[in-house]
Amino acid sequence: MEIRDRDFDREVLKSELPVLVEFWGSWCPPCQKEKYILEKLREEYKGRMKIVTINVDRNPRAAYRYGIKCVPTYIIFHRGEAIHSDIAAKSEGQLREMIEEALKKIPNQL
Amino acid sequence: MKLHNAHKTCWNCPAAILKGNVDFRACGQSLEAIRRRIEREGLLIECARLPDLGHFEPTITFEECPEWRPTKYGYLLENMRVMILGIDGYLGWTLALKLGALGCEVSGVDCFLRRKMVRELGTDSVVPIYPMEERLKAAKEVLDIDIKFREINILDREKLGQFMREVQPEAIVHYGEIPSAPYSMIDCNHAIQVQYNNVIGTLGLLFLMKEICPESSLIKLGTLGEYGAPLTGRPLFEGLFPADAVLRWRGREWSLGGELTPRDPVSFYHVSKVQDTFNIYEACKYWWLRSYDVMQGVIYGVHTDEVAADPRLRTRLDVDEWFGTVVNRFVAQAILGMPLTVYGEGEQIRGFIALEDAMECMVRLISSPPEPGQYDVVNQVSGLHKVSELAETVARVAAEFGYDVKIQRVENPRVEADYHPFEVVSTKLPNELGFTPKVPLEVEIRRMFELLTQPHIVERIRKVAHLIRPRTWWSGEKKVVETLEVYRPGTRRRRGFKPRLITDRERFPVSKVEEVERAVEAIGGGEGGDGNKG
Repeated sequence: MEIRDRDFDREVLKSELPVLVEFWGSWCPPCQKEKYILEKLREEYKGRMKIVTINVDRNPRAAYRYGIKCVPTYIIFHRGEAIHSDIAAKSEGQLREMIEEALKKIPNQL
Repeated sequence: MKLHNAHKTCWNCPAAILKGNVDFRACGQSLEAIRRRIEREGLLIECARLPDLGHFEPTITFEECPEWRPTKYGYLLENMRVMILGIDGYLGWTLALKLGALGCEVSGVDCFLRRKMVRELGTDSVVPIYPMEERLKAAKEVLDIDIKFREINILDREKLGQFMREVQPEAIVHYGEIPSAPYSMIDCNHAIQVQYNNVIGTLGLLFLMKEICPESSLIKLGTLGEYGAPLTGRPLFEGLFPADAVLRWRGREWSLGGELTPRDPVSFYHVSKVQDTFNIYEACKYWWLRSYDVMQGVIYGVHTDEVAADPRLRTRLDVDEWFGTVVNRFVAQAILGMPLTVYGEGEQIRGFIALEDAMECMVRLISSPPEPGQYDVVNQVSGLHKVSELAETVARVAAEFGYDVKIQRVENPRVEADYHPFEVVSTKLPNELGFTPKVPLEVEIRRMFELLTQPHIVERIRKVAHLIRPRTWWSGEKKVVETLEVYRPGTRRRRGFKPRLITDRERFPVSKVEEVERAVEAIGGGEGGDGNKG
């Protein structure tokens, strides 16, 4: 699910579930491809982790706010706080590992 | 049912003025003034076509925008300004007429290099082509198409830049390259000529686009030959590795998704195309240009409705060893009663596409610009065939026209594997751009026989007959290849690998394409592109 600056508070910061946000750019080929994997993981983690994407050029306020210096950048939020961040395109296995690690930090979500 | 590009927005539109409004690279390279404005007012852009909109949020879809009109190939910008480099060529001229018929404002440049090169080699197009002046006049008289033409060599950046400033193209189709592998292998001078013209011409164009029309898209002709035929048998992906490709090494793994796939060009001409690929990839990255790099299969055929409308509108067709592609050459040989020349075992597999289908693909790509900074690749191919099977097909169609054709295996002057696996991925055109091939191989070959058997054309084929059999060896030798075996069609046992074309067509099946075409017709948006949004 692609979100916009105006949705960021509602979809991410105020979300009941933890949220993985991928910050991406249309000029980044690995970001373009990774959408397909994130789509798949979104289904797999339904009810445990919300997964959204946000384009840094179209949504500069969020990009400025979180100081995005590289795409893709992943930040996992829980109750408005960034609990994990990472950069560089990931394989499906690496993304799953990142999500599982983050979920371990949130006992109620297990 | 929506057209394939209905959901695209201002971000894909060449009329959207992004420069000065968008803080590209909001990742540490931002312009402070733009950044402050965005923080204050939000992200707003302007439209070059609808200046009265002032500053607005770039969220209007093609379906909603009054400037994008439905056609059977998707929404197309009304009177879209498309510039074709190499407009006098086999593909350039054909596309110019097709786009003109769709209501585009077509402009183009050519320096007639191809006409000069064939003269230098003592050959000529077997289908008569007229001087550009005559062509332009006929386009107006017969099809009511105005084409703005300038005789310009794309290496002359000053003149090309002036013309681009005048036209302000919204899409640029780059056919302005020397197209031949054997031509590049004649000798050192020819290899240098091909690489200089192609690589430097394209690099100069990229700098001009950055300065003059950074929002327009570049549709650049590459070739499937850039990939080669990897002997590992791995698929030829569409330029970039897919999302789930992974590199494993010493127990660790990395995503390869989005990285350029390896290239293994098969001649100095193909190397020039690979170099172009890297230059375009970088230009998109540095300057937010947008491009489709079209890895086109070997093209064949003579027909589109527009070129067939009048003899003065016909596009060129070469059958000599340097500029003739394989199917075109086989048809010429069949007509002359020469056994069709298959190189080596004839088990080489290549991707192919008919002229008419290739033109449709190009229109769909023009109508669906990539996003800012996006370098994308499409494998433009409608079928994979072994060379010996093509010879069998041409022989079969030739028999319908009363020709008794034999096939000959000759020495292979190229450096290539006789037997090799070949698996090609071509999912974007069918799934994201709504393309379905409409011209079966045999249908186009029949059209070729119908045209090329006309007496004045047979006479022209006869004049270049001695230039069909190859003499340009990749080793540098110059000697006519010898015959290894002559056989009758249908008598040789086939061996080797079975090719595989992966299209994942299920997301946009043929029935859906027909449904879209019916929907477009119903709202009056046919070929003319003059439908309205209703």
